[in-house]
Amino acid sequence: MGIKKTAAVLLTTVLTAATLAACGGGAGSNSNSASATTENAYKEKYDPPVTISTVWGIDPSLKFKNGESAENNVATKWAKDKFGIDIKSLWSVTDTNGAFATKMRLSMSSGQDMPDVVTIGDTDAQLAQDLIDSGIYSEVGPLFDKYASDTWKAAMAEDPNVWNPYIREGKKMGIPVLDYAYNHDYVLWIRQDWLDKLNMKAPTTMDELEKVMDAFKTKNPDGLSPDKVIPLSIGFKNSMNTWMGDPSWIFGAYGTLPQQWNKSADGTLQYGSIQPGMKQGLSKIKEWFDKGYIPKEAALWDENKTSEPAVAGTAGILPGPYWMSGWPLQDTVKNAPGAVWKPIAIPAGPDGKAMRHGTATTNGVTLINKNMKNPEAFFTYQNYMFDHLANPKADSEFDNGLFKGYDYDLDASGKVMPIDKIPGGYVNSVRYLLVRDGARIPNAQMDALLKLADGAKPETRLERDIANNYGPLTPEAAKVLMSQKDSSYPNMFTGPTTQSMKTKMDYLNKIESQAFNEIIYGKSPVDSFDTFVQTWKSSGGDDVTKEVNDWYSSIQK
Amino acid sequence: MKTLRKTWPFHVMLLPSMIFLLLFSYIPMGGIVMAFQDYKAWRGFTGSEWVGLENFRYLFERQDSIQVIWNTLIIAVLKLIFNLFVPFVFALLLNEIRKVRLQRTIQTMVYLPHFLSWVILGGILIDLLATDGFVNRILSSFGVQPIFFLGDNDWFRFTVIVSDVWKEFGYNTIIFLAALAGINPALYEAAEMDGASRFRQTLHITIPSIVPIAAVVGTLALGNVLNAGFDQIFNLYNPLVYEKGDIIDTFVYRTAILNGEMGFGTAIGLFKSVISMVLILLSYRAAYKWANYRIF
Repeated sequence: MGIKKTAAVLLTTVLTAATLAACGGGAGSNSNSASATTENAYKEKYDPPVTISTVWGIDPSLKFKNGESAENNVATKWAKDKFGIDIKSLWSVTDTNGAFATKMRLSMSSGQDMPDVVTIGDTDAQLAQDLIDSGIYSEVGPLFDKYASDTWKAAMAEDPNVWNPYIREGKKMGIPVLDYAYNHDYVLWIRQDWLDKLNMKAPTTMDELEKVMDAFKTKNPDGLSPDKVIPLSIGFKNSMNTWMGDPSWIFGAYGTLPQQWNKSADGTLQYGSIQPGMKQGLSKIKEWFDKGYIPKEAALWDENKTSEPAVAGTAGILPGPYWMSGWPLQDTVKNAPGAVWKPIAIPAGPDGKAMRHGTATTNGVTLINKNMKNPEAFFTYQNYMFDHLANPKADSEFDNGLFKGYDYDLDASGKVMPIDKIPGGYVNSVRYLLVRDGARIPNAQMDALLKLADGAKPETRLERDIANNYGPLTPEAAKVLMSQKDSSYPNMFTGPTTQSMKTKMDYLNKIESQAFNEIIYGKSPVDSFDTFVQTWKSSGGDDVTKEVNDWYSSIQK
Repeated sequence: MKTLRKTWPFHVMLLPSMIFLLLFSYIPMGGIVMAFQDYKAWRGFTGSEWVGLENFRYLFERQDSIQVIWNTLIIAVLKLIFNLFVPFVFALLLNEIRKVRLQRTIQTMVYLPHFLSWVILGGILIDLLATDGFVNRILSSFGVQPIFFLGDNDWFRFTVIVSDVWKEFGYNTIIFLAALAGINPALYEAAEMDGASRFRQTLHITIPSIVPIAAVVGTLALGNVLNAGFDQIFNLYNPLVYEKGDIIDTFVYRTAILNGEMGFGTAIGLFKSVISMVLILLSYRAAYKWANYRIF
């Protein structure tokens, strides 16, 4: 064997060993955040600086410029200068395929240093619950009461239910990350041009709705043959309670909302899918299915699929969120010239009642480590965000945006330039902040929309943002949405998954969708609903209901 | 000892892959303990509560678990058979085409669907197979009533299997074509000399020559007998066909992955692995006994 060959073999071995070593080491002993600060009360600026350690799950689409990174960028420098807060990263990871949650779980189980402050998004809700149960994070209720600013407290008070998922034995264990309210509430989008040509009014009751759907189908104004028209585009492959193409309001007209926990007359929580109103709703949908008002393949259609006939110009009504006039409905005119979509309210049932599912006003939770030296520093930072970023007045520091040269820039004359003209490119630097999206006040967006809907000129940053970036009919749709504010019923169960849910809920969901779909498709009689309810209760549904109510009464205290 | 002195560089060359195997295949097997625990990430293997066979009990206690296992078996076995049989026959037919260019073109065209993801194909199939879709319009021109391929319990498995075979048969043909190319041409020349017709040649030379390969492919595929194809089913199924279409993997996805029940997920994974191992061992014996072929 030649010397060359031996060398090659050795080299390979060495390289492999090196790779393995690199894999093994790396993680671990880098931190020890004990900076020599004494007990610090809340301050506007800390001197000497204090440290907040955190970890980052970086959205793959988030960009960095000027050689910056999640660890060290314009936002961390700003925090240091402004508040004397050193934001220290323990680690960061590009968050694809749940990488952030995985890394978080791993560092939790391998006993590594846990961050002082971490924000967990709703997509990782289970992780957030597990972290709370791990006992690493501290109670936040007293801290929040002591340090949070009035703006923040007011925003949090808009919906008292936001704390519910994070309460353990009456203690608030995590600060909910607020999001805009009513984001997933829906209206009905209807082809106004069809209504006009038929000389009909927008339907306000189920009966009127049926007449409109029948006219859309049999006397289609665009001359489509009846079998080509889908008067009402809904789909329920995934759930009867969803966002685009949602059918839940049909049950709402009969007093219940499926697939969520509603408050009953006696104050307990009850599961919507087993209430008597479902039976009426199902027979109504079945009737519509038989008459061809809804898609024949509705059982196979997911949310995005329901928008296809709408965009193609063959659907008359599409339920969905208020922002849909931008995406997807904007493209309809390309396929059906003259198409005009208008938002209308959810029609009322026989006894005048309308219900739609509501939206949770949170999209995650911020946890504070038990061992954090200066928890008040986090509030210094976040209070400022609520006071100056969430809904800034016209002269605030963040009036034009967050960081000049990142998410906005000014031209020579001091005017805001279009974001694609920013030197070096636009970056969404809000994502550099300690808490995702900086700070949002739930009602701020709807308030701004309503103001615009009344014809006011956009003045604040939020208003300008909405006017520029949302579909043209968004303010109008928001107005429709808010006119039915009292018909919005969010899921009242927001606690951690209960023991029976873990083992029983999937089976219960399965028999539920099976029973409902079979009724709609005429494979079982409508009366089989009663059998379904019995099976649901005896197969664990009663246990789940009991646990849900135990949780609900535990947070009432 | 003498040989070792001569061959040690080769052993060293093997070392990296052995280390990798150990590191990424054997050591992680320790994670199997999760199947017997109520696994909580922050407590780790040592701290999580032992629950014995509780996780397995959940699997068999559910009213629909027998149905789900049964669905998995039926769909997987039928896929296995047709994914062996169709490419086999197709390879034989393709081999008879004497124009190389045509043969190559057909070969490329039939294996292209393999590269489409089920997410995309799922969307296409839902449109094509709709009750007023392309396929049903063709059928109705022959006077057939529209068939609800994806929403009818009687048709769902058929649709799943046919679409899977359509997607994969071109790709699976490649192995058989390679085996066909390896047959000694002298055999055919001799047969021709003896006056054998093409059909006779196929029957007595071609088929016996590639049966061992078919045995290998079949045996290896048996390991997948509890994998009915998550991607495909997940994109095509819907509540109307749960009865015939819900399989172990979609079930695991909903219960274990969505709810973070790692212990339960591991238990099902272990259950599947054990069955697969038994089947592989059996088929290994069978292949040795009847096809006189040793794989390992």
